[in-house]
Amino acid sequence: MSKLSIRNVEKIFPGRNSTAPTRALVPTSLEVADNDFITILGPSGCGKSTLLRIVAGLETPSAGEVLLEGKAVSGPGPDRGMVFQSYTLFPWLTVRDNVCFGLRERGLPRAEQLAIADHFLAQVGLKGFENHHPAQLSGGMQQRTALARALANDPKMLLLDEPFGALDHQTRELMQELLLGIWEADRKTVMFVTHDIDEAIFMASRVVVMSARPGRIKCDIPIELPHPRSYKVKTTPEFAAYKERLTEEIRVETIKAVTMER
Amino acid sequence: MSPLFTPLKPVAPALRTVLGIACFVLFFLGWGIATYGGFVKPLFLASPGDTLTAGIALFREFGFAEDIAVTVWRVFAGFAMAAALAVPLGILMGAFKPVEAFFEAFVSFARYLPASAFIPLLILWAGVGELQKILVIFIGSVFQLVIMVTVIVSGIRTDLVEAAYTLGAKRDGVVLRVLLPASAPQIFEALRLVLGWAWTYVIVAELVGASRGIGHMIIDAQRFLDTGQMIFGIFIIGVIGLITDLLFRALNARLFPWAKGR
Repeated sequence: MSKLSIRNVEKIFPGRNSTAPTRALVPTSLEVADNDFITILGPSGCGKSTLLRIVAGLETPSAGEVLLEGKAVSGPGPDRGMVFQSYTLFPWLTVRDNVCFGLRERGLPRAEQLAIADHFLAQVGLKGFENHHPAQLSGGMQQRTALARALANDPKMLLLDEPFGALDHQTRELMQELLLGIWEADRKTVMFVTHDIDEAIFMASRVVVMSARPGRIKCDIPIELPHPRSYKVKTTPEFAAYKERLTEEIRVETIKAVTMER
Repeated sequence: MSPLFTPLKPVAPALRTVLGIACFVLFFLGWGIATYGGFVKPLFLASPGDTLTAGIALFREFGFAEDIAVTVWRVFAGFAMAAALAVPLGILMGAFKPVEAFFEAFVSFARYLPASAFIPLLILWAGVGELQKILVIFIGSVFQLVIMVTVIVSGIRTDLVEAAYTLGAKRDGVVLRVLLPASAPQIFEALRLVLGWAWTYVIVAELVGASRGIGHMIIDAQRFLDTGQMIFGIFIIGVIGLITDLLFRALNARLFPWAKGR
């Protein structure tokens, strides 16, 4: 049985002020196996974030259903940890208390909360920053804290919506290595949305390409690069071959999206 | 163009203080020239010196300190009552849209009712005692505050709320541990603004049917055409306003250091 089943999920946003409704997603199906690292790759406006938000329960599908371990998803919950593109740390809480947030909502004893928080903060390399407030952190550190905060809940799945999109290129590559390292250690099922081809190939065991409006899955490519992967894999011929293929797939879609905007 | 007058460019702290004081100096200078220079008759405008003499006499012979205490008490009592009702109601209206839909139209209507117009009615209902004065301030502040708090809570970033849901927070957790702390610094700022308006209502309330208070003293002074006392009374209100404003700001910075510079 798959970890996650997306079954004929469709999303239509109602039109406003007599404009036509927008079909963000045609009926889409996708199976995600346990321990898989799936990246969803597509141009902006292809509905990839909508699909992820439906899995998170933050958006309700117009039709179809999402099953997590066979149970239908009806709303957001701590079993699907999420990291957003925008910085969503609670600015009034310290780094440590941000990571404790979910544990506190669950009513865990404080000592246990702190032990878990410190473990995950160490894992994302933020030892020594526990008592800082988010405003005192760089963008990369904030997203690392957000990752630790999602992991602390021990979710069944990790959902990431372009989490490194606002970071500079170098920080972004380090964050990819960090996330990949965590995945290689724990093999938590991951669904990662991005429009960056290198990012999609580097971390994924499968890249799902989505097409532009209305959003639908165009192709599904397994990435058979060996683990553990180091950043050096990005300069291998195998990596280049994947990149060439995906570049072609995405290019066609981007051109379509751009011409449709006119 | 002078580099000092580049739009939005901050000014050095020392220069900021100097400019702030310079405005007061110019004000007193203009006042002095108008009165000592004989441009305005003393009957209409007392000189700064005469005002100060009148002020000292007020404290020494007429127990003005007690007037101030009575007025301050009325302002804070009425304001505290307004805040005690408006802050929770505003939070509920901001968080829960049916509550907002129920109260919004009525509050928007009530907000335009001038508090001073209620004075005759309030005298009828509550007599000319303390309660009547306090109720004028309450009516003048409560509706403004409700609207302001509602707007603040409605404007809290939805991605923070979404993040809380994906971390396992339920409805109450989102209201108490996300909306409330996120809006607290701005609610505090709204209280500071409305407190300033409360001061204008108290004086109006004290012009009618009062035996003590700064407003009563001003009316008394008018009978004797003592412009020095009148101006001193008005001046004291400004000074108290300035002090409470500074206290509020200092308290805000102390309570919510994380919100600094946002």
